[in-house]
Parts: sequence; structure tokens; C-alpha cells
Amino acid sequence: MLTLTATLAEPEHFSLVEKLLLVVLVAASAAGFWRRFGVVLHKILKSKKDPSFHLFPIGKRVWDFVCEVLFQTKVIRQRPLPGLAHAFVFWGFCAFALVTLNHFAVGLGLGFLNPAGFFGRFYTYFAAVFAIACAAGIFGLFVRRFLVRPKWLGKKLSWESGFIAFLIFLLMVTYLASFFVGDADQATRILWWVHSLAILIFLVIIPHTKHLHLILSPATVFLSRGGFSQIPPLVGDEDFGLIAGTDLTRLASLQAYSCVECGRCTEHCPAANTGKLLNPKEIILGLRSYLNDLGPASEEPLLGKYNAQEAAFQCTTCGACEFQCPVGIEHLPIIVGLRRGAVNTGAWEDEYGSKLFLALERGANAHGLPASERDKFIEKAGLPIFDGTQEYCLWLGCMGGYDPKGREIIADFARVMNYLGTSFGVLRKEKCCGDPVRRLGNDLVFQQLAESNLEVFEQNKAKKIVSICPHCVRTIQEDWKEFGTPPQVEHHSEFLARHADKLPKQANGESIVFHDPCYLGRYRNVYEQPRTVVGLAGELVEAPRNHERSFCCGAGGGLVFLGEESGERVSKVRAAELVATGAKTVGTACPFCNSMFRDALAEKGEGAPQLLDIAQLTARGLPARGGS
Amino acid sequence: MKIIVAIKQVPERDAQVRIDAAGKWIEESGLQYALNESDAYALEEALQLKEKHGGEVVVLTAGPERVGPTIREALAKGADRAIHIDCADLGSRDALGVAKLLAAAVKPENPDLILTGLQSDDLGQGQTGVIVAELLGLPHSSLILHVEKTDTGLTVKRELEEGWFQTIELPLPAVLTIQSGGNKLRYATLMGIKRAKTKEVRTVTATELAVDSAPVAILERVVLPQKQKSTQILPGNPKEAAAALVEKLKFEARVL
Amino acid sequence: MSGIWVVVEERDGRVSRNSWEAVAAGQKLAALTGQAANAVVIGAQTEPLAAEVAAKALAKVVRIEHSLLAAYTADGFTLALQQFIEAEKPYYVVFPHTYQVRDYAPKLAARLGQVLIGDVTAFAEGPTFVRQLMQGRLNGSYRHSGNGPCFVSVQAGAFRADEAQAGTAAISTFAPTIDPAQIRTKPSERFRGAAQTVDLGAAQLIVGVGRGIKDPANIPIAQELATALGAELGASRPICDNGWLPMERQIGSSGQTISPKLYLAVGISGAIQHLVGIKGSQCVVAINKDPDAPIFEVADYGIVGDLMEVVPALTEAVKAAKQ
Repeated sequence: MLTLTATLAEPEHFSLVEKLLLVVLVAASAAGFWRRFGVVLHKILKSKKDPSFHLFPIGKRVWDFVCEVLFQTKVIRQRPLPGLAHAFVFWGFCAFALVTLNHFAVGLGLGFLNPAGFFGRFYTYFAAVFAIACAAGIFGLFVRRFLVRPKWLGKKLSWESGFIAFLIFLLMVTYLASFFVGDADQATRILWWVHSLAILIFLVIIPHTKHLHLILSPATVFLSRGGFSQIPPLVGDEDFGLIAGTDLTRLASLQAYSCVECGRCTEHCPAANTGKLLNPKEIILGLRSYLNDLGPASEEPLLGKYNAQEAAFQCTTCGACEFQCPVGIEHLPIIVGLRRGAVNTGAWEDEYGSKLFLALERGANAHGLPASERDKFIEKAGLPIFDGTQEYCLWLGCMGGYDPKGREIIADFARVMNYLGTSFGVLRKEKCCGDPVRRLGNDLVFQQLAESNLEVFEQNKAKKIVSICPHCVRTIQEDWKEFGTPPQVEHHSEFLARHADKLPKQANGESIVFHDPCYLGRYRNVYEQPRTVVGLAGELVEAPRNHERSFCCGAGGGLVFLGEESGERVSKVRAAELVATGAKTVGTACPFCNSMFRDALAEKGEGAPQLLDIAQLTARGLPARGGS
Repeated sequence: MKIIVAIKQVPERDAQVRIDAAGKWIEESGLQYALNESDAYALEEALQLKEKHGGEVVVLTAGPERVGPTIREALAKGADRAIHIDCADLGSRDALGVAKLLAAAVKPENPDLILTGLQSDDLGQGQTGVIVAELLGLPHSSLILHVEKTDTGLTVKRELEEGWFQTIELPLPAVLTIQSGGNKLRYATLMGIKRAKTKEVRTVTATELAVDSAPVAILERVVLPQKQKSTQILPGNPKEAAAALVEKLKFEARVL
Repeated sequence: MSGIWVVVEERDGRVSRNSWEAVAAGQKLAALTGQAANAVVIGAQTEPLAAEVAAKALAKVVRIEHSLLAAYTADGFTLALQQFIEAEKPYYVVFPHTYQVRDYAPKLAARLGQVLIGDVTAFAEGPTFVRQLMQGRLNGSYRHSGNGPCFVSVQAGAFRADEAQAGTAAISTFAPTIDPAQIRTKPSERFRGAAQTVDLGAAQLIVGVGRGIKDPANIPIAQELATALGAELGASRPICDNGWLPMERQIGSSGQTISPKLYLAVGISGAIQHLVGIKGSQCVVAINKDPDAPIFEVADYGIVGDLMEVVPALTEAVKAAKQ
């Protein structure tokens, strides 16, 4: 019968032989660790420096570190049960810091923590609580990986994960068992050695497996690029994007080595969920394999053996992957970087892609339609021209200017602005903001569009811009920064929400399920404003995947301009999810989402919910044709 | 193969057409310019031939200073060098006059093949290439969709009316006018633009070429056509509307 | 220098419709200038062609015949006509603006120090010749200057073949001197494009069906119209998504981009993805029962009505016109 001795047992004096053995083993373990870790560190440091990395402002970095690393917020929030289990393991490790140090000190006769003393007793009990939590956590994770086998962890069983789980469990068990034996017992010494060996073996294994994240990920989280989907500028005349190993930067390499293979990115990826080749986890692991096999000085193409070009071009840039990653991997700059490498050198040969690029090389909009079509719309809709005196410049964009549905949204939003008495005008000439070519990696055309548009804004002295399209908002606000100073721009949901108190509340509004656009939600952190607007028109219903977990409509990343998708249509999957809520109306805040759902909902036939943008939902509540 | 591609910079397809003060041409201020569409296909054909058989692609263009970006675009897409005939009065020369300039610039180059686009997006005459062939005493063929090099010269695929085609064999050197749509055009890349910075652009003035330019066909004035493009809704019951439509398609639109 | 000479082309052994239009144009030019209108036929066996042409109100019809003119070549036709023109010294030479004429007339004109005024749509006092510029957005008036013949080609459909007045003309022959070494190009027999199931991208006439067709059982109605027109059948995306027509017939930004002479949109509302696919069409006709359908914005002609009635009526009208 085991008796709890209430203090942690420590073996009594170690012989000289044992001490020497310990030193040798520690040295060997450290050497084994360094042998691999040194190589990884070297590969990361040998990678090219990141041209636009700024350590300051440091506040956000510290905050993210505290939240995501120390408090494991993202780990827990996005996958609660496994996340909590992992958190316990992590906190267990943290709590054990002193314990482990003392453990080895004891082996050399230099133990500094007295388990019988006041602090020692407190601390060892404290650690024991964490040990139980940690053991429970690791056990749960083991069961999940080997018995439940969620598909996001991949098909192959990872024996190294199993072994590590075993080691961690062993560490906790040996620690806890030490409460049940006395200092003088033989068992104590055995437990001590087993515990030590477990640690020393673990140490060697760390850099050889995904457990490298133990060391790297706090740094990875801290050293993020500084913004969501932060695409770095190209530097010099020979930089075209991520073509070969020599193009990988330190951040990219650090992130590639930090991957824990948890599969959270893939779990939320619209392409991976609809049978496409693209798998965000595999993109990152592909880079890691490349670095392992060839290193950062290789000229071998990144797209080829390690990652398929086809996969890179199936990404809608929805950002679910980057958003979900608990270790700070930023997938979007990498995927866009790979696309840049292919497009900026002409290596990407795609019929629809070429058509898009040629259309934007020559003309004003992504559809390849004559600019006079936009002029005709402005005239027909009676939209005022911006002359510098109005408060807002209303940006039409390629959808608002040319798409019949986009034009309806603009017309309704104009009605609302008139009702509110807000002065606005539209530019005489607009070119595409460049979002599709930016996300597809065509820096030549993007630069031309950004510079041309910036000049027009300058000439027209437009200070405040409002747009119905989250892609335009993002591209104008963030991506144009590389070429000048864009004016202040906001999305119409932000504008409408600010004026919510002046807008009529509609009685007997129907159930409306709101679909969060990727470029408004995850990219811009705007979730509540469109909901406020929806709330004025009817009863808000949430889709199963909502807010930051909203599932992409499939149009982004320039994909709406490319040919037919392989596998299932992303828009169809999301539309089915929205319809299944039973809501009478689907509310959108992006003309591309609207366009994608239009066909998908029409397939449902007579019973399909109606599809309305928040501007249309607002306008229908206004008094008939008042105030225009 | 040494291939010369004659290209033209024309007002952008969407350009708003306003008549200038003299009533002889369109108002050029505020116009955006671009590479003529069928010339882009001619350039693409030349680049593909170079990729297959090696050699050099030289672009040739006549016009004022503003043709610079179009030359750079052609170099960015893969042409090796360019010849710019600096000429400010292109509009006052007729097709023969322009062709004389081009032929004079081409002659010392002794190319294996000269390609031009089928016709320009502004004047749309479709003659320059054919006349250049005559001036240089070379065989030619027009409306070409596909070019293949053979041991004896070239085999080309020529478009005929109503969905028919024929192949023509001709010796080199020769001149071909290239129809749009035969190939998929390549897009301009960042890498291409950067490399274009180091490629040679040789300028020669129209006066240096010393060709006579008195035009034979003179464009006296331009006017906007009476009927602007608008939708004609045909009224009446189905039978009446159908009959009216067929009449319009036959004699007004002339597509039946 | 005297006279107007119309160059007549053959199609399948008979005078082509475009050539009759050129004859009508030549007669109009004769009335305008007071010159006599004549015609030439070129080939290796021109007797039957000449007989056809001589039944029109022309002064003379000349048969330019040589064995090396059996198949069209730029070198052959240019040489033959050059010799004829140098002998005859006409004021005007009028061609139909065909692909063949575009291939040799500029060469012929240049050889004689002249420039072809091509694709003319009308004659005016002077005479001045009107042709389209900037893809039909502008009309330009051209005048010929200097000595030497004036070469003009007329746009298909600009003059009406049925307006070529009848009469009788005197037929004579002209034998040019052509050496085989002077013919540098070797043409093959003409052929159709490679047999593909559908190539909407190359089709010149297309009928597109959209959701307005309501039921796959109604598609044959549109197919009949297409057959009557000699057109290909295409569809907007929803029709192909439903499997009512194969995916290769999809017209739109993620399907085929078309650029036919004539596109008939039947029961198609005009979503942007579709509009982008059809913007290269020369002439767009829309048939839809919704007068506000966006397709009408881009159509040249439209019929607002039930396609179930309009389409069969149109099929009948087309068949009648083709007789």
C-alpha cells in the first residue's frame, strides 16, 4: 500500500560515479540536442533578412506573447477541449522549471530546494497539481491522436508523438510517485534516474521533431510580421517573390520549423474542405522539407517537388489558416509569395489568369469591360461626381461599377446616404483597386493600378472614402501603402453602424443569417457593425461558422476571375450551411459574396432564401423614395 | 531566325472619341495609348518562333515620343531590341508613306521574317504589312493564325471567310500579317519589365530615312456616325417582332 | 485614263454575292463620276463567270485568263491586274473588300504608286469615300490625289447586290504574261477547322440559353433556332450546372469567351459573369420577358416577350429569309 509521505523524496547522496555518469549523460544529451538544433538555427539565420520587419512598436508583440503563449488563448478558444489539455501540458512544463533544475542539482549534490521547508513544500505541491493536470492532459491528447484520430492530424499515425506523449506521462508519473516514497528508499533512486533519462532523451528528440515548437514558437509568436496577411515588399531588381530557397526569409524559415502539425489551418481551409489539392499545413511542411533537404541557399524551385503550383493557386486568401495557427505561422505571405514567384516571372500559365492580367494591363477594371459602362451607370443612377466639396468619396469598385447586383447595392447605399444627409460623390474615373492581381502575385500590374489610383485621389483631394467592398477597403488601406499614402477608407457597414440611431428600425423583420466576409471579419476585425445594421432590418441569425470562423464564399484570392474549381464548389458548401439555418434572408456585406451565393442559392429553387446586402436591407426600411 | 515585328501604338480601345478642332482627327489630349491588338499577337508569334528556333526578335515602330512605353512593353514581353522611327507626323502619311518608312528601316537589318498585326485598331486599313512586302520585293501572306518553320521556308495557316482555312507554303525571307486569336497572349511580368531596362532601343528619325511622303489617299475629315449604339427594342407580337429582327440583322447589322 | 473597273470574284464556280455588291457600287460610282462601269473576272476558266457578269449594265467585261491564275495567289493576281491596268489605264478600280482582296490589292496599288482606300461604306460628292475608323466609332472621308488609278474596296453589305442593274456587256479577253517562277506562294485546298465537338470561341453565330428556358424539355426550341441560323448553341452557367447542356457550352467568365458576329441571348438575364463572356460579340440580340433584365443594356436589338413564342417565330422568319 502506497503511503503519501507529504514531501517529495530526493535520493540521498550520489556516488562520484553516478555524478560523473550524470555529467556525461547531460553533456551527451546537450550535444545531441545541439547537433540538430544548431543545424536548424543555422538554416534560419542563414536565410535572407526580412526587408520590412520592425521590432517596434513592441507593445502588441508583448501582448500577443502574453495572451497566445503564456495564457494559450488561441489554443484554447479555437479548439476548447484539446486546447485546454495542451494548455495544461504547457503550464505543467512552465511550473516544472524550478523542479527540473533542482532535480539535476540534486544529482550533483547541489539541491537548492528543500522539499520539507516552507517554500519547498509549497512549490512541490504546486508543481504536483500541475503534474496531475499535465498527465491528464497528455493522456487525453494521446487518446485523441491514437484512438479518436481526427482527420486534421493526418492519416499517418505519428509514433514520435506517441513516444513523446509517453515520455511526458512518464515524467509526471515519476514526479508524482516521488511523493509516495522516502528519501532513503531504493525506489526513489530509480524514479530519479528514470525521470532524468526521460528528460535527457526528450531533450535530444525535441529538435528532430515538431516538438521544436517548444523552443521556437514563443519566438515565432513574438516575431510576427506585424499585421494580418502582411505581404512584404519586393526589394531590388532581382526579387520576384518566393521562387527558390534563396528567397526564403528568416521569418519564413522560422515559421516553417515551428509547425506543430496540429492541422487547425487545414481544418478551416475552404479549399481543403472541398476536395482541392491545397492543404495549408502541407504548404508549410513542404517548406520545412525543402529546408531540411536543400537548405536556404538552394536554387531549386520551391514549387515543384515540395509543393505543387496548382495548390498555391487554389487559395482564396480567406486567412482562416493564418488566423487559426497557434504557433504564429503566417501562411498568407508565404502563399502569396509563392504565387509572386510564379507570376512575376511568367511561370504561371493560366488562360483565365492571363486574361485577367491583360485586361488590367490595358484597361480600368478586372472584368475587361469598357470604362464607358461605368460612366453609363453613373449617369443612369444620377450619382453625383466628387468635386472635393463633398464629405465622402464613394468608391464603386469593379463590382459596384459594372455588376448589375453591385450597382443595385450602390444605388441603395446612395439612397441611404441621401436620407442621412451625408454628402458624397463618385470619381469620374476609377481603376480596379488591384486586389485580385495583388493576391495572385502580379506586382507589375498592382503597382501600376495602385500608383494610378493614388494619383487620382491626390488630384481629386479625396480625404474620406467609403466602399461597399471589403476587398477594396483592405487593398486601399493596407496594400497601397507600399506606393503612397492612401486616404482614410471605411466599409459601408462601419458607416451605417455609426448612423444606426438615425436609421429606421423595421417592424416584423424576418430572420436574417449574416455571412461574415473574410476581408471584413478576419482581415479587418469588423464583426459587430454589420450585425447592428442587420438588427435594424430583422432578426439576426448566426451561421454555425460565424465571426472569425466564417467559412469563405470562394471568390477571394482572385479566384472568382479564374476558371472552374476542381472538387466541390466552395460557394455551394457555404450556401448550404446558410440555408440550413432556416433563415428567410441571407445577409451579405461584400458584393463578391453576394455574387457567389446568387447562383448557389438559385439552385435551391422556389424555397431559397432571398439574398440582400446590408445596404439593401437598410434601404428597404427607408420611407419610399424619400430624400434623393 | 531574325524576326522583325512591326508594332503600332494606338489609342486605347475604350478611348472616348471626340473630334478635334480641325475636324480632321480625334482629340488626342487625355487619351491613353496601348499596343495594337493584332500586333500583340504578331509579337507573341515571333516570341514563340524564337523560343523554338532561336534567333532574335526586333520590334519596330514609328511614332512620336509617347510610343516609348509601348516599346518597353514589347521588350518586357521578350523582344530583344527595338528600333524607333521618330516621326511626329504619322497621321499625315498614308499607308504607302508609312510602309516606306518601315521598309527603309528594315532593309539594312536583312531579317528572315517580318511580322505585322493584321490591322490597326484606329485606322483599320490592314495594308501596311502587305505594302512593306511589295516595297522589299518579298513574298507575303495575310490573316495568318499559325506559323511553322520548314526546311524550305514556312508553312502558315491562313484564315478564310466563313470558317474555312488554308495552308500556304512560302520561302524565306517573307512578310506575314498576323490575325488576332491564333495564340494565347503572354502577360507582361515584373521580371520582363526589369530586364527590358537594359535592352537596346535605337532611334532613327523619319528625315534620316529620306522617303517621300506626299499622300495619295487623303483623310479629309472625320465625323461621328449618325447612329450611336443603343438598344433597339422591336415591338409587336412575336411574329412581327421576329420579322423586324431578321430584317435588321440582314440589312442594318449585316450579320445574316 | 478612263473608266471604272470592278474586279469580280467567284465562289463555288459562280459570282460571289460580295462581287455583285461591288458591281452595284461600281455602277453607283459611274453615275457619280460620269465614267463608264466595266468588270474583270480573273482565273483559269473564266467563260461561265464572264457570261454571268455580262448580264449586268456594264460597258465591257474582260476575262483575264491564265493557267497560273487557277488558284488565287497574291503574286499571280497582282501581276495579271498590273498588266491589265497598265494597258487599260482606268480611273477607278473597285473591289469587294474580301480577305482575298485584302491580301493582294494593297500590293497591286503600291506597285503602281497608289494606296487602296479600303472597306468603303459609302460614296459622296467629289468623289469622296467614306470608311469607318476607331472600330466603327468614327467615319472618315477620303479623297484620292494625284495621277494614276484610284483603288477602292467596298464593305460587305454596304451596297445591295440586288441593286446591280441588269443589261448586256461586251466580253473580251486579256492574256497576262506570268512566269511560274514569279509565283512565290503555294496555297493548299481550303479546309474546315479540326473537327471538335464545340468550339464556341471560334463560332461566328451563337444562340445562348439561360434560366428563362425553365425546363430542359424546352431546349430543342432554341436548338432549332440555332440550326436555322447555322449557329452554335451555348448556355449561361446555371443551365450547365444543372446538366441540361454540357459544361463545354458554358459561356461566361469561367467558361468560354465568345466573339461571334451575332449572339442571341434567349432567356438570359445578364449576370456579370455572362456579360464578360459575350462582350466580344459584334451584334447582341436579347429575348427576355423582363424588360429590366440587365442583358438589354448591352444588346443591340431586343424583343421583350415570352421566348416560348418569340423563338419559334424567329426560327420561321430566319428560314424564310434564307430562301
